[in-house]
Amino acid sequence: MPGWQKLYSELKSKNFEIISIAEDTGGVKDAGPAITTAKPEYTVLIDDQHLVTRLYDMVNVPTGVWINEQGRIVRPNEVAYVDNRFKGMHGVDAAPYLEAIRDWVDKGDKSTFAISEGEMRARLKPQNPDHSLAAAEFALGEYLYATGRGRDAIPHFKEAQRLNPESWNYKRQAWALSSAEKDYGTTFGQEVKKLNGKPYYTPRTLPNEVKKSDEKKN
Amino acid sequence: MAAVLCLIGATASLARTGGARTVIYEGVATELAASSEPSSDLWVTLKDLTRATKFVVKPQGVCRDESCFPLPKDRKSQFVMKKGKVTWFNLSEFAKLIKQPTTFDEQNSVWYFGPRPEQQNAFLTSLEAPEFTLPDINGKKHSLSDFRGKKVLLVTWASW
Repeated sequence: MPGWQKLYSELKSKNFEIISIAEDTGGVKDAGPAITTAKPEYTVLIDDQHLVTRLYDMVNVPTGVWINEQGRIVRPNEVAYVDNRFKGMHGVDAAPYLEAIRDWVDKGDKSTFAISEGEMRARLKPQNPDHSLAAAEFALGEYLYATGRGRDAIPHFKEAQRLNPESWNYKRQAWALSSAEKDYGTTFGQEVKKLNGKPYYTPRTLPNEVKKSDEKKN
Repeated sequence: MAAVLCLIGATASLARTGGARTVIYEGVATELAASSEPSSDLWVTLKDLTRATKFVVKPQGVCRDESCFPLPKDRKSQFVMKKGKVTWFNLSEFAKLIKQPTTFDEQNSVWYFGPRPEQQNAFLTSLEAPEFTLPDINGKKHSLSDFRGKKVLLVTWASW
């Protein structure tokens, strides 16, 4: 959060807002401490039903989406690290993303980072029906958890994970509510290993990064 | 028609008989009274249908706001059933008809109905960022549309 606060302080006078959303089934109980410690000036909302996960078809946190003044998506889901605290794990450098945000805030839809309507239509896909069903299973599990029936939630969380195996939101959240090892027979480390180096987030393809990797090749 | 009703009766023997049910529709949970009809489907009274889903059964179909979903003429009895003075509506069969993702917890008698595909995927046509309203830490609600006129970076995180 301190990273986003720094960026917000820098850009807030330029008609720019950050909406930060906690994807936490436990709601204020789980997400609250980080918010009260950081006290960010930007908007922080609590999504205890993983509504944003479902609406935007997100697979992990942090995921960023850019929305322009008319409410149109100009960059869809992509991994959105604000700093390099966990770079050792995932290898994603935060700097090009922050550079891209600054460019967009200055130039708006004309920014090379803002995606045109045509390209956006080509990129966005209807939700896989299995993923829609996974969202329903997960939400049912969350309701049971919220109403004090956490053990009964587990089969639904498992079913959501089976229907949408790409969703780390469904895995990591469910594991955090009980025990990954005891109830799901796995750990985060084991699951990451199974990927064999494939990313466990929505990859980023920023124009400023493509350039840099090309430079390396030459 | 009678054969269809028999079929419903046959599946019923595999399923639980009535007890209180919970229906979650558009994220809102509604408690419904028990059904007198033992069935593996979710039969609700017309009053409960409207209470839980805002849908109303009309001659032209099952309607809400601007939209009506006509019931297939040859399968009407699978959706609507009159027993004595009470008319029952098969909400789970209707969800299948309109392709709603549906899940069920048998032990707790909780049904969950997700959005129809055309609701979920509406933004593919408009490219408009899907709208949501969520509370902040103090419980104050904020909607994405409150931020129209500004550039918005939406970013998720979690405690886990």
